[in-house]
Amino acid sequence: MINWVGRKIIAGYAYLAALGTLFAQAVFDLIVPPKQGRGETLRVLVKQILFTGVDALPVTTIIALLLGIIIVTQAGTQLPRLGAGGLVGSIIVVTVIRELGPLVTAFIVVGRSGSAIATELGNMSVTREVAALRLMGIPISRFVIMPRMVGMVLSMLCLTLYFDVVAVFGGYLVADAQLTIPLDAFAESVIRALSTTDVFMTAIKGLGFGSAVAAVCCYHGLAVRSSYTEVPQHTTRAMINSFVLCLLIDVVVAVPLYL
Amino acid sequence: MSEAAIIFEKVRAPMLGGDLYLEMELRIAAGACVACVGPSRAGKSLMVELAAGLVAPQAGRVRVLGQDWSEVSDDDPRSARLRVGVVLQQPGLLSNMTLFNNVLLPLRYHRGAMPDHHREQTVMGQLERLGLASLRDRFPAELNQGEARRGAIARALILEPDVLLLDDPVAGLDADMVLGLKAYIDERRAQRSLTVLAALRASSPFVDAADRLIVLCEGHVEADGTRDVVRDMVPPALRRYVD
Repeated sequence: MINWVGRKIIAGYAYLAALGTLFAQAVFDLIVPPKQGRGETLRVLVKQILFTGVDALPVTTIIALLLGIIIVTQAGTQLPRLGAGGLVGSIIVVTVIRELGPLVTAFIVVGRSGSAIATELGNMSVTREVAALRLMGIPISRFVIMPRMVGMVLSMLCLTLYFDVVAVFGGYLVADAQLTIPLDAFAESVIRALSTTDVFMTAIKGLGFGSAVAAVCCYHGLAVRSSYTEVPQHTTRAMINSFVLCLLIDVVVAVPLYL
Repeated sequence: MSEAAIIFEKVRAPMLGGDLYLEMELRIAAGACVACVGPSRAGKSLMVELAAGLVAPQAGRVRVLGQDWSEVSDDDPRSARLRVGVVLQQPGLLSNMTLFNNVLLPLRYHRGAMPDHHREQTVMGQLERLGLASLRDRFPAELNQGEARRGAIARALILEPDVLLLDDPVAGLDADMVLGLKAYIDERRAQRSLTVLAALRASSPFVDAADRLIVLCEGHVEADGTRDVVRDMVPPALRRYVD
């Protein structure tokens, strides 16, 4: 039993070290300009931003709007009874901007783009496209991993901030219709509850979640060896590990700050 | 004697499954055309992958164009990597790019200073010569096996390599295509020094054209030399790969 636990802990550390190495290599590739192939790498980066960021806007809008509506609806059923109807803005800041915004955005990105990256890289490994790139003298870290990581981090950051704004707007729609709170009062309540730290932490979480999801999904995609049956297995593992890692990062960031 | 383009020094590498080992000592002179034949699981693909630097040997060294693969960085533009064209058993064309863009990719990546129209002319010339010009806008999934293989060969030759490594280049090709491909590679060899190492599963025009034949079986070299020499050396069970 102790051996088993020890092995699992060592494997866990090795896994995190591998993700850290992948991330550090991507940062290095981003900072140190490549000797060649800048145009091609930029093309991959733009494609990744379009796919992960721009194409995800409709689904992010719908989910954020609905989440904002649900939260304020639920808050609206309880707060007036306590004579705290004016706290609607605080509720939306605490739940959406501090926590649910970054987390739900991360889950959307994992489900949409993370799984796509893991599957794409897994298939590329099986069909030997990854090997072919190496043989053409095109470094995988620069051409495949770095643009996907940078694209995902930037997209996650922007989507998180966008999600927050849309969710707050969704909350306002209910506040206006159900609780008859006018726009200026709602906006004042939100702004009063919102601190610079909240916005900063949301951005930090967006960056952290984006980095973690990109590293995990690239790692599992490239871990596929020779069989197509490995692709869904690694994709599932990538998604689960991404969710866990995002929650872990959230705890590490949020607990010391707000406890 | 000219310097060898490909050198295997006491190489030992595990074959797929790990129960057999490829053990090899090999020198291929620059400009030579060498065909390696043998049955399945003889180690031919592994030999190509070792020569391409895709797999590291467990023991020994592989030197190509004077560089030891273990000392070559993937990121170095002066690396021997760019002077070696490789086509593996699976063509490995990038599935999210058209055939044209696949062949263009090495030029775009490594010859950024080359004018666009010149790059496109080069790619189209290559595709036309291999009978693929009409398929330029197709994605790999829309190509048959032979077309994808010829596309991969076009891509491997686009940077004008000094060494060409081919793993089963005739798989999926009809007789005319095989002759066309052989003629094209012969033409390239006539224009400039090109060392060719081709792994083949069966006798083909490539075997006829080879300066040297290597017969592999279960990871060991059974015979090595000109076709006539090899024919006398190989055991009867392997003779059909040579005849």
